[in-house]
Amino acid sequence: MTLLRVEDVHKSYGDEEVLKGVSFEMDRGDVDVLMGPSGSGKSTMLRCINRLTEIDSGGIWLDGTPVYDPETDVNELRQDVGMVFQDFNLFAHLTALENITLGLKRVLGVPEAEATERAADHLAQVGLAAQADSYPAELSGGQQQRVGIARALAMEPKLMLFDEPTSALDPELVGEVVEVMRDLAERGMTMLVVSHEMGFARSAADDIHFLDSGRIVESGPPEQLFQRPEHDRTSEFLTGLQSNGH
Amino acid sequence: MSAEEPSVADEVRTTVTVDTDRPWALAGLVAFWGWLLLRWTNDFLLPDGLAFPSDQSFVPAAPFATAAESLGATAASLGVAGAPLDVVAGLLGFVAGAIPSLPSLARGAWLTIVLTVAGIAFGFVLAVPLSVARVYGGRGLRWLSLSYTELIRGTPLLAQLFVLYFGLPLTQIIREVPGVGVGFVPATAVWVAIIGFTLNSAAYQAEYIRSALESVDAGQLTAARSIGLSKVDGIRYVVLPQGLRYAIPGWSNELVYLIKYSSLAAFITVRELFFQAESIANDTFRYTELFVLAALFYLALVVSASLLMNLVEDRTAIPGIGGKRQA
Ligand SMILES: Nc1ncnc2c1ncn2[C@@H]1O[C@H](COP(=O)(O)OP(=O)(O)OP(=O)(O)O)[C@@H](O)[C@H]1O
Ligand SMILES: [Mg+2]
Repeated sequence: MTLLRVEDVHKSYGDEEVLKGVSFEMDRGDVDVLMGPSGSGKSTMLRCINRLTEIDSGGIWLDGTPVYDPETDVNELRQDVGMVFQDFNLFAHLTALENITLGLKRVLGVPEAEATERAADHLAQVGLAAQADSYPAELSGGQQQRVGIARALAMEPKLMLFDEPTSALDPELVGEVVEVMRDLAERGMTMLVVSHEMGFARSAADDIHFLDSGRIVESGPPEQLFQRPEHDRTSEFLTGLQSNGH
Repeated sequence: MSAEEPSVADEVRTTVTVDTDRPWALAGLVAFWGWLLLRWTNDFLLPDGLAFPSDQSFVPAAPFATAAESLGATAASLGVAGAPLDVVAGLLGFVAGAIPSLPSLARGAWLTIVLTVAGIAFGFVLAVPLSVARVYGGRGLRWLSLSYTELIRGTPLLAQLFVLYFGLPLTQIIREVPGVGVGFVPATAVWVAIIGFTLNSAAYQAEYIRSALESVDAGQLTAARSIGLSKVDGIRYVVLPQGLRYAIPGWSNELVYLIKYSSLAAFITVRELFFQAESIANDTFRYTELFVLAALFYLALVVSASLLMNLVEDRTAIPGIGGKRQA
């Protein structure tokens, strides 16, 4: 059953067309990975899905709801789409727990006591029960990113977007975040992940989309894309990734 | 963001740093505030029957004057060797001259503090929307906010007070309000001064807060919006709590500035600290004593304000944001 449908999405910044007609679909529970060179439009694609950036033409549907319909309430839509950022973007003035309760209280209207309880559960799920009262500056990058994931999950989204969730992390901290993501995938969350983490892509992805200059050049399951890429651009890119030690 | 920044009125408001490790300075401050509070309680709160006469000092000046006189005579008889004694005699003479004016200065200091605190507090209430409009508003709001802050920062505070006091019918309107000038309620001129300082301080505070807001990482608001907070809520719950912490040092400067510039209220007949000092000086011709004394009062207020703001900064500090506690 289709959860996300992206159809012929175009997006320009000024004269530069960043997305040149991107289309793909995801079923509920799918884990798709978006790969591609820097500047190919991966982040822009993700941001168009929760309207942090607006598309120029085309359409996006989330669980049947037209994302770009004037009737659609952006703030309600965003509750259904969790987002995890490359540089974490935890609310710097709030503790790990408060980072999660803010949305529960101010967006969902959950009462204080219940919000605290639910937030604590979410922290425990990412293995950070003990860090509830720590501020972001007191946490390692890996811990911050796990809080970031918990914060997004607490809104009980239908879809999770990850924008290079591990690329700002020291190599030894990548594993803990990937593990949380893999765990999430196993529990059936629908995830669209921009990442060049081959390990994660190989083991968790249903489909990989290779984006180049604003177009999806090639899509397919990891075995196919990694072993028998059809396009030169794809194989060049993958070769580059491997030689860079990813 | 800064392309539209005009360079008018980029006044530098100075910071005062206080060394809290100096016990004598702290002891002096404690004595100053103890005395001020006693004085205010006596003059404003105690019923007439119980109170010490409000125009009379707690400590009589006469003994100091006598001591100064006899020490001075002794010093004179000792010739050159009496020079140190002469200095002490001079100090005692200063104290004797200062004592009678202390009650008036305490009353003046009260108004100075009222003007400063009201100006800062009401100014802050205006400054927050002004700065938010400037950073996050649409074209119209940004323009309005910018025009206001530049108008205020580009013209002298004294001129602003004169326009409010003499130029507008504000005085007549306030005078008509029942209760003004009765008991604890300040007189008309004080209200005009409060309005003036509020409008002025709002512009300066808005500048401090604006640059603080701009130093909050843009990703913070993006993250707030991504969980479904509206832009207004994102600013309110995420950006402002961080930005206001960054603004505290600027805010301390503004407080110090207002304490000193509140003396301009004297020109619209507000009987604050400077007004009191000047009018006593005019009556007694003790200009040096009175202005040195007034200066000491301002210094004590400024140092107290800086200490208070350091405390606020420390108390509101969060690891990674502002304050001195960060690693
Ligand atoms: N807000 C913006 N304004 C103008 N241009 C932008 C903006 N955001 C992105 N771009 C441009 O759009 C293009 C695609 O950017 P995008 O961030 O989507 O790429 P990406 O695939 O995520 O790259 P990276 O791997 O470096 O994160 C780039 O050329 C970028 O400079
Ligand atoms: Mg990107």
